[in-house]
Amino acid sequence: MPEDQPFDLAGCLDRVRKRDQDAARDLVEHLHPLVIRIARAHLPRRVAEEDLAQEIFLKMFTRIDQYQGNVPFTHWVSRIAVTTCIDQLRAQKRRPELRWADLSERETQVLDSAVSNENDVAPDDALEARELVHKLLDRLSPQDRLVIQYLDLDQKTIAEISALTGWNQTLVKVRAFRARRKLQRFYRELTESERL
Amino acid sequence: MSTFDRTWRKLAAAARRTPPAGDESAPYGFSTRVAALAFAAQPPSPSAFARLSLRAAVVACLLAIVAVAVNFSAITGAFDDDSAVAANDDPIAEVINQGS
Repeated sequence: MPEDQPFDLAGCLDRVRKRDQDAARDLVEHLHPLVIRIARAHLPRRVAEEDLAQEIFLKMFTRIDQYQGNVPFTHWVSRIAVTTCIDQLRAQKRRPELRWADLSERETQVLDSAVSNENDVAPDDALEARELVHKLLDRLSPQDRLVIQYLDLDQKTIAEISALTGWNQTLVKVRAFRARRKLQRFYRELTESERL
Repeated sequence: MSTFDRTWRKLAAAARRTPPAGDESAPYGFSTRVAALAFAAQPPSPSAFARLSLRAAVVACLLAIVAVAVNFSAITGAFDDDSAVAANDDPIAEVINQGS
């Protein structure tokens, strides 16, 4: 497909419904950045991002006849991606608890610095901070994790999260509130646990 | 703001600064594989003619069942009368009857 032409989504969907494999390939190429971003953001441990993306696309093709056009197609695909990620996260066991012993030396230093220092985390420590955030998020249920991830890491609005997940805005707010309280409890458990 | 809130905000802000993980375009051959798998797993959707034929067959079956139910007594009665009719038409039975 020429790079300079806008993607004809409606035409492509029509062709996919008629089982045109070239159209299906074009659709996968077009949607891959969207799907892989969601898969990477909510990737469970021990699951390859390509496998997860493939599962999301296969679900999309299986249900493509059910798409009525009430919401933008990208939102519809996002919902499939999000629910697939949640199912995968559900299948894996949550971390039973997070203790100092689970943190690397650098992560411990970054956490100490974030607690005691008034300044922001140094740019060099961003990767460790990210790892710490994900270790805490791994303790949440898939839905709670998803809401916090969207709000605090992806900085999406409540309305955007509602559109992406299909949950109403009140539910998103309630989930976010409860998830933060749980996160706070996990953080307290971590900081009160015995250091090695 | 609590210690947790402050710490969490700092950690989340730092996590947001990490570079995005790699290329977002589909790896070579990925879209071909997914398209092939999707159509291999999916049975072709039945044509309009096939769907209409299936509905017509269901309606025909229902009509047949209703017709049998409505005419059930007539059908069973017809079989009951058969033995009498057969006996009347049987010349040997007539001879035996005349002899007795």
